Amino acid sequence: MSRLRFHPNTWLAAAGALVIAMAICAAKAEAAASAPSVTAVLENAETFVGEPVQLQIKVNGSRSANAPEIAIPGLDVHYDGPQEESRYSVGPNGITSSSAVTHNYTIVAAKTGSYKIPSQSIDVSGTSLKTPELILNVRDSGGRGTRAGPTGRGSDPVNPNNVGFAELVVAKPTAYVGEMIPVQVRVAIDANVQVENSSISATIELPGQGFTAQKMPRPSEARQTIRGQTYNVLTYRTAIAAARTGKLEIGPVEFPFVALMPPTNRNRTLRRDPFGLSDPFDNFFNNPALSMSVPRQVKVQSEPVTLEVKPLPPKAPAGFSGAVGNFTLTTAAKPKTVPVGDPITVTAQLTGRGNFDRVTAPEFDDEKGWHKYPPSADFKQDDDVGISGVKTFETVVSPNERKEKLPASVFSYFDPVKEQYVTLRSEQIAIRVDGNSAPASAPAPSTPGAAPAQPTPTATPAAKDADILHQLTDLPAMTQSFKPMFARPVFWLAQLIPLLGVIAFVGWRIRRARLNDREALQVTAWQEETSELERKLRREETPPNEYVTAATRAVQLRAALAKKVDPNAVDAVVAASALGLDELKREQLRRLFARVDEIRYSGGANGSGTLLPQERREVLELVEGLRS
Amino acid sequence: MKLATIAVILAVTACVERAAGDNLSVFASANADYSAGHFAEAISGYEQLVQSGKWSANLFYDLGNAYDRAGDFGRATLNYERALALDPKHPETQANLRLARDHGRALEIQRSAFERYFPIGTSSQFAIVSSAGFWIAVFAGVALFFARRRTALALVICAAGVIVAAVAGFAAYAIENGTRGRALAVVTAKNVQARLATADNSGTILALPPGSEVKILSTRGDWVYAALPNDLRGWIPASAAELVRM
Repeated sequence: MSRLRFHPNTWLAAAGALVIAMAICAAKAEAAASAPSVTAVLENAETFVGEPVQLQIKVNGSRSANAPEIAIPGLDVHYDGPQEESRYSVGPNGITSSSAVTHNYTIVAAKTGSYKIPSQSIDVSGTSLKTPELILNVRDSGGRGTRAGPTGRGSDPVNPNNVGFAELVVAKPTAYVGEMIPVQVRVAIDANVQVENSSISATIELPGQGFTAQKMPRPSEARQTIRGQTYNVLTYRTAIAAARTGKLEIGPVEFPFVALMPPTNRNRTLRRDPFGLSDPFDNFFNNPALSMSVPRQVKVQSEPVTLEVKPLPPKAPAGFSGAVGNFTLTTAAKPKTVPVGDPITVTAQLTGRGNFDRVTAPEFDDEKGWHKYPPSADFKQDDDVGISGVKTFETVVSPNERKEKLPASVFSYFDPVKEQYVTLRSEQIAIRVDGNSAPASAPAPSTPGAAPAQPTPTATPAAKDADILHQLTDLPAMTQSFKPMFARPVFWLAQLIPLLGVIAFVGWRIRRARLNDREALQVTAWQEETSELERKLRREETPPNEYVTAATRAVQLRAALAKKVDPNAVDAVVAASALGLDELKREQLRRLFARVDEIRYSGGANGSGTLLPQERREVLELVEGLRS
Repeated sequence: MKLATIAVILAVTACVERAAGDNLSVFASANADYSAGHFAEAISGYEQLVQSGKWSANLFYDLGNAYDRAGDFGRATLNYERALALDPKHPETQANLRLARDHGRALEIQRSAFERYFPIGTSSQFAIVSSAGFWIAVFAGVALFFARRRTALALVICAAGVIVAAVAGFAAYAIENGTRGRALAVVTAKNVQARLATADNSGTILALPPGSEVKILSTRGDWVYAALPNDLRGWIPASAAELVRM
């Protein structure tokens, strides 16, 4: 057998092909990337004087977009840098890629007021994209005693009881039921203190009752100088929605962690050097920066915050599902020309900020003449905590008659800023529905859910205008069962029949084998008896009558061995026939048997009483001749 | 004594015949209601027979027709499926099931590759074939064991019997546990949404019109986890679907 061997060039060629394939895939992935878009999100729409607020401008579809320079009178805007991300995913359309860059800004207001962050223009691959305009409300910071702040102290040595502080920031002191309130938990740890990374929790629990909190993303980390002290600040972001009215107490928030503290220098202070000969290594080993750190469990805790929750006003519009926030509605339909009964997919997008979990699909203002299927929903959030983004509903409708327009989509929500209910109504989309009336059967609707798969259509053109077949009026006498055959007792009872057959077959074969064994034993016994008789016939002293009887028995045994018959039933005729003797030997045999009969029935005295040697020799030759 | 035995036999026979006669009269009455357009009454009559356990493909077919006329395409589909579970070749049921699915815009579970390429028998038929193959193999094996000289023919028969038994047994198992098997259920409620979790406000996976097929995988309280059309899986309320096999 020959072995396959690959030349090095073969491997090089294969590697080259792989590289080319990957390059093609990458090119396809780049081609499959979605069109660029830009969003801008303020960490909080409301803040306080001196309180930093994060502004994120996210450019989807490009990683090379430049950060716009933002200058707003009254606001100190500081660019913190970009954050790039790329994602590749393998789906039914092959490899798709998405890339984005997020430009982070920190905004600090010097005085109260409502500041407008104007739309920013960003150039992405020759296309100019604009961010939405944002409003930042800045309030006076007086009375916000939520910070368990640091006490003034020097940088060294580190006080283990005062290594940092925690701060719980709730964006608004009052809110409506269901309104999403951004919440920040800021944990500031002295920059001189080393923290064991494994002790830092990825999330923080907000203690309190009467509200729900959004999933908390991983905290952001920054170094900030607060009141002349440098801190590493971890910022946890989430949003809460009050579930009941009244005063809610949120917090206090606790943040335990393990700080690696420098060892205390108590020993050094106690040991005096009376001779003034200090150890030159003493300073080295007592240098906090160089000595071994001691892990110590530390906990910082914020002050609790009270949130006043107001009920939603009465007389909510019909179709109000509990959405609170600020939203805009856009709708689209595809296809726009269909025959009667064919599906149209209506896509409604609700964009904005609020409790998207309570945002339901817009209703049609007039569903007459339409068959509507349950919608699917998909939410794409623009921020980390999911209070701003786009929720897309796809609803499949099929017209039952001729139509020229789709009904308007209506969505109602409560605006906490305007403090009133708002009803959005989309424009009626012009379509064309051909045909006169709805057919008996229409194609199965496309009901796209969260999954991309499309439902299996079950309609067949042949089924159109068809009616079901007639009733059957005969009721069979025999009752049928849903049980499969192998689950019914009769099936296993029926198995007894072949089982008994097998048992019978086995028994028959065993019996047959035993019979064969018995026959073999019989044959052996006959052969031994024959040999013994022949030896007796060769002896001269055997009496005549006994000699003749032995000869006859030997003949019977020879015939029995030849024909497998009972030797006692063998006479001269049977023996001659069984042994195939000629006429001369037949005559000898007949005389031998006659002599035996004479002895048996007449007694020994009736015979001659003697047997001549010549006669003995003839009988012996006859018997021995039968052996061959 | 003999007279008493004969009397008991005659009494039992009379009861059985009377019950059969009652069933026939209920069936005829339901048919008459159906012909008169009284579909609710017809459904009631057919359901009475179903409750009595007098199951037949014709009965479920007629019940499906009554539900179809009443506009309940979910239960119409369910009863057509039950008729086909009893008699997979029932031609009228096959025709009306297609129409009921079209009327209800029902979704079907995609058949497995085995079910698509080997639609030649039912699990019962395959079970019988498997049993026959098994016993042929056993007989041939016994004969080989006792034979003084083992013939090639006996060996081939034995091997063929084993193969037939194994393949048919696997086929019966695959059909029984496949999309048309014992776990097949039909959505009978309206506005059913398959969800990601056992909560009414959890995310939706697929809207299931009445008559849609699902395959129930497990049950948790009032919810069932089911294989859905389009190779999806999700939770649906247990009351929203009924098993085809009773």
